[in-house]
Amino acid sequence: MTSGLPPFLLFFAGAALAGATRGAVRKALLVLVPVLGAVNIAGVEAGDQLQMQLMGYVLQPVRVDELSLLFGYLFHLAAFIAVVYSLHLKKGDGATLQHVSAMVYAGSALGAVFAGDVISLFVFWELLAVSSVFLVWSRSGTRAVRAGTRYLIVQVVSGVALLAGALARVDETGDLTFGYIGLEGLAGWLIFLAVGVKAAFPLLHGWLVDAYPEGTPTGTVFLSAFTTKVAIYALARAFPGADVLVFVGAAMACFPIFYAVIENDLRRTLAYSMINQIGFMVCGIGVGTALAVNGAVAHAFNDVLFKGLLFMAMGAVMHMTGKTKASDLGGLYKTMPVTATLCIVGALSISAVPLFNGFVSKSMIMSALIYEGHAWIWPVMIFASAGVVEHAGIKIPFFAFFANDSGIRTREPPWNMIAAMSVGAAACIAIGVWPELLYGLLPHAVDYNPYDAPHVVTQLQLLAFAVCAVVAFQLWKVYPAEIPAVNLDADWLYRRAGARMVRRCGAAAARAGLALREGAAAVATPVCRAAFRAHAPHGPLARSWPAGSMVLWVAVMLAAFLFFQFL
Amino acid sequence: MSGHGPNSVPPRWARAILWAFFGLCAALVVAGFFVSPHGKHHVLEEYRLFYPIYGFVGIAALILASKGLRRWVMRREDYYDDE
Repeated sequence: MTSGLPPFLLFFAGAALAGATRGAVRKALLVLVPVLGAVNIAGVEAGDQLQMQLMGYVLQPVRVDELSLLFGYLFHLAAFIAVVYSLHLKKGDGATLQHVSAMVYAGSALGAVFAGDVISLFVFWELLAVSSVFLVWSRSGTRAVRAGTRYLIVQVVSGVALLAGALARVDETGDLTFGYIGLEGLAGWLIFLAVGVKAAFPLLHGWLVDAYPEGTPTGTVFLSAFTTKVAIYALARAFPGADVLVFVGAAMACFPIFYAVIENDLRRTLAYSMINQIGFMVCGIGVGTALAVNGAVAHAFNDVLFKGLLFMAMGAVMHMTGKTKASDLGGLYKTMPVTATLCIVGALSISAVPLFNGFVSKSMIMSALIYEGHAWIWPVMIFASAGVVEHAGIKIPFFAFFANDSGIRTREPPWNMIAAMSVGAAACIAIGVWPELLYGLLPHAVDYNPYDAPHVVTQLQLLAFAVCAVVAFQLWKVYPAEIPAVNLDADWLYRRAGARMVRRCGAAAARAGLALREGAAAVATPVCRAAFRAHAPHGPLARSWPAGSMVLWVAVMLAAFLFFQFL
Repeated sequence: MSGHGPNSVPPRWARAILWAFFGLCAALVVAGFFVSPHGKHHVLEEYRLFYPIYGFVGIAALILASKGLRRWVMRREDYYDDE
């Protein structure tokens, strides 16, 4: 490093100190860490690096370029917002465990985006998994513990795939650098699989919708910011322009919106929404041009802000009422008007309404799809964009704060929650109004203006008529009712089908073992009986024979031998 | 709708907001005829009513398909509780 400290170091030191302090001192420390980190990273420049030798290989725990810096800024901002949001935690909430693990988690995310080689990346990759699971486990109860355990297993599997890929890559190329990898050879595919699990590719996404809604109100805000965005960073670094990502991204943008319509738990609806937004990013990275990759990482930046804001709003509702299900909520705007307003800012941002941040980044991806001739994917992504309005733009604020009055009367959440949501909302609006704030940080030079008249008008048309459809279905009473239920998804594969298969295999093995034992007994019993007959105390072979008869038999044997010799 | 309690927003307000919203929709359709796509664009964008129709029909299809999806994937709330 020519300037500044390694970005992750401050957070790890912060975690250690947070564990040793209490009360106001810890709170001050927690806020100070991301602020000091931001000051530190402001002094870090593209091209800086930290190298070390290990068993003949060159490791690069820190490697700074424009892409890693963008995610570095983002993670500091996200950590600051999430830390402020969690300041009210008390001893009874497992405050120490949550604060310490959140600091390690944020530090690991920073470590991962600044890691210059695959081995350092692997270390931070696993630390992300191990530190974040405590944010799920901290919400006591069997459901959370089990969901957390499943989450951890899946994340560790992703880490193992990354390590296997890293070793295969060393074997193939002799190079540890984490740069462009591409989908060639075993190493490329293994690393792609590892990143795909963390990015929640279709059928690998079960962990996200399973575990995130089970986290603590504050923990889920941290979770939503880091893991999947590290995966987007890794994709943008290692697989830009991989055609398969265009289709994977389109699938990710589309299938969750169907689930989001019928999901009753509003935080799980947001988890589906997260996969949908990641779909746009993955698609952009698949297109691979400068504009598309810029759009993808800009959208990752914005998603952390607006998705964080929505998770914070639902976390505030959960903190104050203990409920997150649409069927239990409604009418909260009367007692939580500030939270409702901030939630609506998040809803407008994620819906990509002009003047909010979602619009300025998603437009880049949509334009890039047209420029590169993806004529069939573009309408699919337009459909997915309209779908966002339905589940995140309307459903989340409507069912929590309006809809039918649930009769719940509560108060606004603690001041720190309001403050954190306000910072998030302000950032969403600021980037929407002045997109150059974000465009200036992007890895490629930007010459893009989202605010031209046709683009703004057509976007508003799409959104307004999508809302029209929802309103019409509500008025005609065709809109699907909010029903307390479980919707089967990919996690069913290992929670039910997998478990059933293991049980069946176990039972089959037990049956086979029994049959084997019975078969062996059936063969062994007569053999034993025959041996017993011969060798038992009164058996012919155990009897004592006179010496004369033995000599006789030896003579008979010798005679027989001679006879056969001369034959 | 979830079916518990009365509508949380007074009907008078709800009606006013709805009419304002429908007015906005109409204004947007009219505005669409005064702007034309320039630069490289998708062939569908040349139809001035593409975005309104696609938005409405797309979401209508989404909602109906999701209701259908429930038949396949919906289980009672304690489905996983016996793990």
